[in-house]
Amino acid sequence: MLLSLLLIPLTAAGLIAVTRRRVLIELVHIVAAMATLGVAVAIAVLVWDGNLLSAAGNLFRVDALSALMISIIALLGAIASLYAVGYIRAELADAHLSRIRLFFLLFHLFIFTMLVAVTTDNLGVMWIAVEGTTLATVFLVNLRHTRASIEAAYKYLILSSVGIALAFIGTALVYYAGAAKAGEIAVNWSTLRAGAASLNADVVRLAFVFILVGYGTKAGLAPMHTWLPDAHSEAPAPISALMSGVLLNVGLYAIMRFKAVVDAAVGPVFAAHLLIGVGLLSLLIAAAFLVAQGNYKRMLAYSSVEHIGIVCLGLGFGGYWGVFGALFHVVNHALAKSLLFILSGNILLKYHSAEIRDVRGLMRAAPWTGALFLAGILALIGLPPFAPFISEFIIFRAGLESYPLAAATGIILLLVVFGAMLASVNHMLYGEPPADLARGDALRLWLAPLAVNFALLLALGLTLPAPFEAALKQVLLVLGV
Amino acid sequence: MIGDSMSAEVLSKLVNLSSFAALGLTILLIVRARLEGQVRVFGLQSLILALLTMLIALYTGSLELFGVGIALLFVKAVIIPRVLNRSVGKIGIVRIAAPYLGTAPALIICALLTIVAFYVMAPIAKSNLLPTKDAMPLAFAGVLIGFFIMVNRRRAVTQILGFLIMENGIFLLALLATYGVPFIVEMGVFLDVLVAVLIMEVFVYHIKDNFDSIDVRELGILKE
Repeated sequence: MLLSLLLIPLTAAGLIAVTRRRVLIELVHIVAAMATLGVAVAIAVLVWDGNLLSAAGNLFRVDALSALMISIIALLGAIASLYAVGYIRAELADAHLSRIRLFFLLFHLFIFTMLVAVTTDNLGVMWIAVEGTTLATVFLVNLRHTRASIEAAYKYLILSSVGIALAFIGTALVYYAGAAKAGEIAVNWSTLRAGAASLNADVVRLAFVFILVGYGTKAGLAPMHTWLPDAHSEAPAPISALMSGVLLNVGLYAIMRFKAVVDAAVGPVFAAHLLIGVGLLSLLIAAAFLVAQGNYKRMLAYSSVEHIGIVCLGLGFGGYWGVFGALFHVVNHALAKSLLFILSGNILLKYHSAEIRDVRGLMRAAPWTGALFLAGILALIGLPPFAPFISEFIIFRAGLESYPLAAATGIILLLVVFGAMLASVNHMLYGEPPADLARGDALRLWLAPLAVNFALLLALGLTLPAPFEAALKQVLLVLGV
Repeated sequence: MIGDSMSAEVLSKLVNLSSFAALGLTILLIVRARLEGQVRVFGLQSLILALLTMLIALYTGSLELFGVGIALLFVKAVIIPRVLNRSVGKIGIVRIAAPYLGTAPALIICALLTIVAFYVMAPIAKSNLLPTKDAMPLAFAGVLIGFFIMVNRRRAVTQILGFLIMENGIFLLALLATYGVPFIVEMGVFLDVLVAVLIMEVFVYHIKDNFDSIDVRELGILKE
C-alpha cells in the first residue's frame, strides 16, 4: 500500500507525458490526485491506529509524523488539483498542448517527490527527494515565461540548490557522527534516533547548524527566505498553494526529524535556542515586508515566512504544549494558506493584476471569492473562531512559561503583521470596483473544494476532535516529546 | 588486493596531496578570468576527485565506492563540463567572469575562509580513526570557497560553477570523513546535480534571451 501511494503520482506523470488529448490529460490528473488522497487516508488511518508501515526493505517507513505529512500533502494536493483544471483552462486558454501537459506532468512529479521525502527512513534519500521538489517546481514557477518569472525561477533554483547543498553537509556529518561512534553504517533515521545517545556531540551540533540553514532555506526561514516571495508570487495559483501550504512543511519536516536526533544526542536546549532565533528573525523580516506591501501574492508569501517562523518558535519553546501547538499550527497554516493562494488566482483572473492598489471592491465584484478571502485572512492573522487562533495561543502560552522574553517579542511582531495585513485586505475587499469590471466570480464552481479548507479551519477552531488530538499525540511520541 | 600492499600512511599522504590539489584548483578558479578556462579547472578537479575515490575504493576493497568513482568521472568530469562548454559557446562574446570583488581581495577572503575551515573542522576530524581524516579541513575550505564564488560572481554560468565546486567539496568531505555516504545516496545526488545543471543551463539561455545579458545584476524586476 505504501508503494502504491508513491506509484500513483509517478504513473500519472508517465501517462500524462504520453497523452495527446487535453481532456484525457485532465482526466488522468484528477483520477490520480483523488486516488493519491484515498490511499493516503487509508495509510494515515492505519498508522494512527498504532501500526508502523514499511516497504522496500527499510527504505520506506511511515510513522505517525510521516502520516501527518502524507495527509497534508494528499489532501491539499487533491484540492489544488481540482482548481488547477479550471485555472489552467483560463490562464493557458490558447497555449500549446505541450505546455499544458508539462504543467500536469510536473504537478504529479512534485507530489511524488514530496511523498518520497516524508515516507523514506533514509536521510540521504530524503535529501535527494527534497532537492527533487525544487527541480520539479522550477519550471512551474516559470510557467508564464515572463521576465519576472524567469528571474524568480532562476533565483529559486540557485538559492534552493545552495541551501540544500548545505543540508547535505549536515546529513553527511550526522552520518559521520553515527559511523564514527557506533562503528556501523547508519543513515536511517530510526537507527540514528535509537542510537543517538552514543553520537559524537560536537559533530551533531555542527551538523544541526547546517541542517537548519539548509532545510530552513526550503522551509522559507529567514535569512535564506529571499527566493520565496518571488517564487510563490510568480508561480500559478494552484502551485503557489502547494508550495506555500505544503512544500514549506516538507522543509520543516526534515528539520523536525533531525531535531529529534539532536535532542536525544545533546539535549533539547541547543536546538531550541537556534530555532527560537531563526523563528524570531523570520517573524521580524516578515513583519517588516508586510507593512505597506504592494502585491497581494507577495503579501501571502511573506505571511508564510511569518507562520513558518511561528512553528519554529513552537518547536523551540518545546515541552508538550509547545510542540503540540507547532504541529497543530502546521496543519492550520497549510489549510489557510492554500485556500488564500487559490483565491489569489481567482482575483488575478478577475483583475489581471497582482497589485493591491488595482484591486478594489472585491466583495461586490466577486462575492464568493471576496467572502472566502476575508475568512482566510481572518484565520491567517489569528482571529477566533478559526483554528490558527487556537494553535498560536497554545504556542505563545507555552512560550510565556519557558522563554517569556522571546514569546513577548513574538506577540508584538504578530500584532504588527495583524495591522499590516488587515489594512491591505481592507483596501482590496471594500470600495467601488472598477467601472468596466464585469460582476461575478471567476471559476466559481471550481472554488467548491475550498469548502473543505473552510470547514476544517472552522471545525478545528471550535473543537479539538478526539481522533485528531490522538493523532497529534502520536506524532509527539515519535518526536520524543 | 591493493589494500594489503598500500599502508595507511601512504594512503594518507596521497589523500592529502589530492585534497591540496583540489583546493588549489578551487582557488585557481578565482584567478582565471575566462569561462572556458574555469570549466576546464572544474573538470580537472572532478577528475582528481574521481581518481581519489577509486584509490580509496581499492584500499578498502569496496566495489560500490569504485562504482561511485566511475559515476563521478562520467557525470562531473565529462558530461557536465560538456554541457557548460556548450552554454559558454552559445552565449556569445561576453565570456569574462566579472566578479564583484577583484582577484586580490578575493584571494585574501579565500585565505580567511581556509583558516575558518581549519578552525571548525579540525576538532571534528580529531575523533576520526580513518587514515583520510587529516584532509577534512581542506575539503571544508573548498565548500566555503565554492559558496564565496557563487555570491561573488555576476555571470549565471559562474554561479553554476561555484555551485558545482561547492558540490565537489561536499563530496570530498563525505569521502574523507566516512568513505562516502551509501551507494544509493551518492547515485541519487549525482542524478540531482546533473538534472539541476541541465535546468540551470536552460535558464542561462532564458536569461540571455530575455535580458540581453547573463549578468545576474540585470535581474532586478522583483523588488519590494
